[in-house]
Amino acid sequence: MSNVESLPRRILQSIIGFVRGWIESVRVKKRDYLVAAVELILAGLTGFLVAGIVLLVMGYDPIWIYSVLFRYGYSSPGYLGARSAALMMTGLAFSIPILAGVFNIGGESQLYLGALTGLVIAYYTGNIWLGLIAGFIGGAAWGLLIAALRVYRGINEVITAIMLNWTAYYLIIYIILKYLPNPTQSHLSIQIPENMMLSYSSTFWLAVLGAVIAYILLYYTDLGYKMRIAGLSPRTAVYAGFNPRKAILFSMLLGGGLAGYGGALHIIGVASAFDTTMSTVFGLGFAGIGVGLLGRNHPIGIIFASVFYAGLIIGGQFVELYTGAPPYLSDTIIGIIVIALAIPYAYRMMINYITLLRGGGK
Amino acid sequence: MKAVAKTVLALIVIIVIIVAVGGAYWYITSQGGGGGATTTTSPAKKIKVAILFDVGGRGDLSFNDMAYLGAEKASKDFGVEIKYLTPKSTSDMIPLLEQLSQSKEYSLLVLVGFLWTDALNKTADKYPDQKFALIDSTTGVVRDNEVDILFREQECAALIGVIASGMAYELGGDTVGAVAGMSIPPLWKFHIGYLFGVKYFEMKTNKTVNFLWQYTGTFGDTQKGYQTANQMLQQGAKVLYGLAGLTHLGMFDAVIDWNEKGYGSALAIGQDASQEWYNPKYIPISGAKRVDVAVYTAIKMVVEGTWKGGIHTLGLKEGGVGYWDLDGVRYFAEIAYNNSKTKLTPDEIVNIVKQQREKYIKPYVWDIVHELEQKIKSGQLVFKTPLSEDEYNSIIQQLQQGNLNAALEKGSV
Repeated sequence: MSNVESLPRRILQSIIGFVRGWIESVRVKKRDYLVAAVELILAGLTGFLVAGIVLLVMGYDPIWIYSVLFRYGYSSPGYLGARSAALMMTGLAFSIPILAGVFNIGGESQLYLGALTGLVIAYYTGNIWLGLIAGFIGGAAWGLLIAALRVYRGINEVITAIMLNWTAYYLIIYIILKYLPNPTQSHLSIQIPENMMLSYSSTFWLAVLGAVIAYILLYYTDLGYKMRIAGLSPRTAVYAGFNPRKAILFSMLLGGGLAGYGGALHIIGVASAFDTTMSTVFGLGFAGIGVGLLGRNHPIGIIFASVFYAGLIIGGQFVELYTGAPPYLSDTIIGIIVIALAIPYAYRMMINYITLLRGGGK
Repeated sequence: MKAVAKTVLALIVIIVIIVAVGGAYWYITSQGGGGGATTTTSPAKKIKVAILFDVGGRGDLSFNDMAYLGAEKASKDFGVEIKYLTPKSTSDMIPLLEQLSQSKEYSLLVLVGFLWTDALNKTADKYPDQKFALIDSTTGVVRDNEVDILFREQECAALIGVIASGMAYELGGDTVGAVAGMSIPPLWKFHIGYLFGVKYFEMKTNKTVNFLWQYTGTFGDTQKGYQTANQMLQQGAKVLYGLAGLTHLGMFDAVIDWNEKGYGSALAIGQDASQEWYNPKYIPISGAKRVDVAVYTAIKMVVEGTWKGGIHTLGLKEGGVGYWDLDGVRYFAEIAYNNSKTKLTPDEIVNIVKQQREKYIKPYVWDIVHELEQKIKSGQLVFKTPLSEDEYNSIIQQLQQGNLNAALEKGSV
């Protein structure tokens, strides 16, 4: 009983502890931060420079294009926040399993499943909260399937995830055409009524809530600690007496669940329905990989990364409107910038991974 | 903990960079007189129109490219300023409409394709001063600030029905078919028109024509289109009409294979945009659904002050539907050639199409086509638009029994 009472206190203490620890470490590790800052600035500048050269070669004025991209991408806070919600969740769906040593590129299909279950439950029960929970469960189940195949059958999760992405894609199209058609608009699925929809800002804050919970789970619980150890070194985990398999299963459950929750949020807060071309949800999971890397695989980092990324996507649309540049040009620019910013981190992550594998081999 | 703090700091730096860079550009551009902004406030007060494409945007060789064609023509004829925007997904549509309406920069927003229907329905009432034109779809609500432009598909399908029947006879057969998408209202109209055209040909020539019609249930499955087309070819179909979007590209392939593998000879007919470029030898003609004319019409209404909210339909009379002439074939052949979708040059394509049309569409067929065209244009014949599936089925049944007037709202043959 005392445990229940002290939970909020524990959380509060953790937050205080974290802030204190952070201030302490800033003081101690000044130099590291300087290096990190220089690295990011250099990466960012390189990205803008390379993209700028591409633009110049194609005959566009880079400064004009960048100014449109940033001015219109971040000028409408509601749209920006709502658009980043799903990206934030799929970013986590990539990063949490990475911390436990699993490559989850199935965020795409986990998001589809969550969006579907979220839509169906919210529509038929009339309760969006149940819909969001159902979204989490739907995504988690799909994620767990990939993890179970990896853990119990030794099937590489990358292959399973790629294949299941397309399975889910066609499954969803089939289901919405066959069982959930919209009676008034043939290109849509059943639709969340307008008065039930979440506002843009609550969509965003609900996503942030998800990220914060993920952060606490990962860094302030026993389970999160074990997951991170299992990811850093499965052998250490075994030596310390806990099962790395459990860590994998749990990380995929959490990652998949968050992707599903993101899908449900996207439907209930932004899109209101699927369309038969799937453009409502397509690509949100794949973009999540970039968001995860950009956020340095850290839940709080991912919050900012998703907003940054969403702004680029929104601004990209206006680049065509104001400069006449074809839409794939802004996609290219966004791609270059995101890759440049993610490369230093992704590079170090790979080096760690490889040295770990080598060390394990000896 | 240290890794955490490092990450957090790294992020703060990202944000600082973003703000700094964004702010700097903002400053630079606003200092520089705002580039485009000053030119728009010139005394003449140019009309500005934004064309909002379907998801996917230009290069589809169909709706979006046609919308571009129409808008460019309007810009040349009326001197209006045209801007284009491709939404990233359907979830971006509502916020985009809101942002553009709030900016009050555009006299008209043209929305291309049915994907915009729901988004428009939810935003149009909030911005009564913003004019919207929705192409090839309707919200079902009449508003002063919204124009929905629909097509009278029956009229174009009827002409194609006559042409297809004539081509089937030139190929030594008597069967025509169509590979259709889903059983939805626009396709019902195509079915009625196509069957009417076939029966009209029978009546004028006293020849009999077998009619095949198959719904594939999808607009996006080329494999299904291929299989369905193959079945029809085995049943003796000589001419196949594609009414299923991407699905009927599979139908084109089936027809091409049928000829090249020597099973027999057959021809295909495209729809919406000119699709002759796909294989001019075996696709000599396409039915036209002129999204360009629809976009042009919407802009014209704003320029000439003849704007009136509600549904407007375009048919043969307005040039909104029909079949593609050689200029249209050339326009799409050029886009296809520039996008490396075909190896044939536009000139080659146009020449092949011209030869094939002369070979397979005989003057007596053109006579029937022109006569029917005249009757429809003059308003002598008006087709019914079925409102329910039952009505549609009963019209088709009566047409098959030879009662052509069942398809007509006005006039008789």
